[in-house]
Amino acid sequence: MFDIADLVQPDKGLIDPSIYTDPEIYQAELANVFARSWLFLAHDSQLPKKGSFLQTYMAEDPVLVVRQRDGSVKAFLNQCRHRGMRICRADEGVAKAFTCSYHGWAYNIAGELVNVPMEDRAYHNEIDKSQWGPRQVPRIHNYKGFYFGTWDDEAPSFEEYLGDMAWYFDAMADRYDDGLELVPGATKWVIDANWKFAAEQFASDMYHVPISHSSGFVALFDDPEIRALAAGALAAPGRQFSGNGHGSGFGLRPDLVPDPAGPDFDAFLIERREEIYRRLGEQRALAVYGHNTVFPNFSWLATNNTMRVWHPRGPGRIEVWSWAYLPKNAPEEAKRASRLNTVRTFSPAGVFETDDGENWTEVQQVLRGHIARQTTFNAQMGLGHEQRDLDGMPGRTAGDMFTEMAGRGMYQRWADLMSGLSWQEIAELDKRRREQEEAKQS
Amino acid sequence: MTTETIPVPALVGVETQHRIEQFLYAEAALLDDHRFTEWLELFTDDVHYWLPTRVTRTVRERDIEIAGPDGAAFFDDDKAFLAGRVRRLTSGQAWSEEPPSRTRRLLTNVRATELDSGEFEVRVNFHVLRSRLELHQDSFSGERTDLLRPADTPLGFRIARRKIILDTTTLPAPSISVFL
Ligand code: FES
Ligand SMILES: [Fe+2]
Repeated sequence: MFDIADLVQPDKGLIDPSIYTDPEIYQAELANVFARSWLFLAHDSQLPKKGSFLQTYMAEDPVLVVRQRDGSVKAFLNQCRHRGMRICRADEGVAKAFTCSYHGWAYNIAGELVNVPMEDRAYHNEIDKSQWGPRQVPRIHNYKGFYFGTWDDEAPSFEEYLGDMAWYFDAMADRYDDGLELVPGATKWVIDANWKFAAEQFASDMYHVPISHSSGFVALFDDPEIRALAAGALAAPGRQFSGNGHGSGFGLRPDLVPDPAGPDFDAFLIERREEIYRRLGEQRALAVYGHNTVFPNFSWLATNNTMRVWHPRGPGRIEVWSWAYLPKNAPEEAKRASRLNTVRTFSPAGVFETDDGENWTEVQQVLRGHIARQTTFNAQMGLGHEQRDLDGMPGRTAGDMFTEMAGRGMYQRWADLMSGLSWQEIAELDKRRREQEEAKQS
Repeated sequence: MTTETIPVPALVGVETQHRIEQFLYAEAALLDDHRFTEWLELFTDDVHYWLPTRVTRTVRERDIEIAGPDGAAFFDDDKAFLAGRVRRLTSGQAWSEEPPSRTRRLLTNVRATELDSGEFEVRVNFHVLRSRLELHQDSFSGERTDLLRPADTPLGFRIARRKIILDTTTLPAPSISVFL
């Protein structure tokens, strides 16, 4: 057995690395973290037609996400109720129904059992089909085109779950009048590391960029002077946000351009400048354009237009599913520039991404060691320098992007859930923590 | 019994086939030997180096399993970006290749067709084995379709287009930090 209070101490910035390796902790995470949180399922643009479906995962549970006849979206476990066969074995497509290929039970696109072979002869017409549809994801929320689902009836509403993170999420999701679309096709790969390394880095870690990604800048810029300019952006001031386990970090940019996607995307941004400022306000449009995680495992990078889910696959493995996102109805050249920026920087062959995977894999390998697993990690960067509502940015904010505040926030939410606290208890605890911080600040 | 005709490829001559195969082997050897700067010289300035993603679909939708030109990709490079990758790999700071991987490229089933333009479309099956650090192993298999343009160089060709198709959908590796 493990005691969560011993494993992570966010107030002291201490992490016991067995949280990344222990199979028992992992099983508890599936139950206490993933089955209770809001998880990303799909974006609107992935389900264009009635019957459009994709298979994704809520942690290790395969779910089918399907566009209904009335335009709504349903999600249900991709598991046949007869003997548990995977009902649909394509990654995506358009379906009229799903027929299990084991004994032929057939489900409609809403996930209702509609046909059982030999219903009269084998079941004597005694089976109540209405009782034997696959497990439905009971709560699905469409947040500005992003569908999230949770198995937990007790979980707060999605908006409440996001909390102050909504302000930062909107800087991505709500940037353009016409919204976003995903480039067709997910990029999927496997990293032999614990999911929390990736989720935490996207929540909280600007610190690794100059070192881990130094060669990425070498790839992007031939001219050492321009390279130095790009590196200079990291010397500029920045901010970080932490709340409800989520995190966002960014530099304070003087202008929307130059964007890493290059001149064709710059031209588009200049044309849409008014629109973007009207929707987000100038301060937010310029600043909130960095790394982000919505707890537990949905992340994006605004500068590279990449969005991903870190699907956990045991304590030592992640399946990464990533997408490039684009402004809908942008000119073709702008979309192309943006898409190429994503592919070339953040994909398993991307000149930035490859080096992230290398770090997490090596950390995980070292943790095979008996002594290594008991050797405490330091997550103290910026500890004690947290502020609130800095420059009007809502929530817990840090006056620099080089801090681990959001990482500590993520582990705090993780620990609260892992301790088996109810959502009500967590909300009360968070309220008390906030009052203490506000008292300290005033 | 109905006999369906199996399309017979328009064969190139033995000499041409031989020269194309030797070109491909020489290219593979440059990569296995980490001679990236010389390798880059084998590409035309207008090259498109592309590895689109693919998904598992039912037979009915198999024709759209591979992402199109506007879809998601692992690689979608022009010459300038290939040069950037080479700069990165030779910088000594590309941590996923520093220390470098050991690779072994196996090329087979070379099928060449001469086009009206005088260029050759060459399809080849590949298996790239990557060994990294202590015990890390990756295996990439698939098919490449190259457009080879005759050139006045010792090896006789330059690569004007490369489309790489992997046999996997989810890549069973942490990265493709090598060229395919
Ligand atoms: S398991 Fe699906 S019909 Fe038997
Ligand atoms: Fe990174």
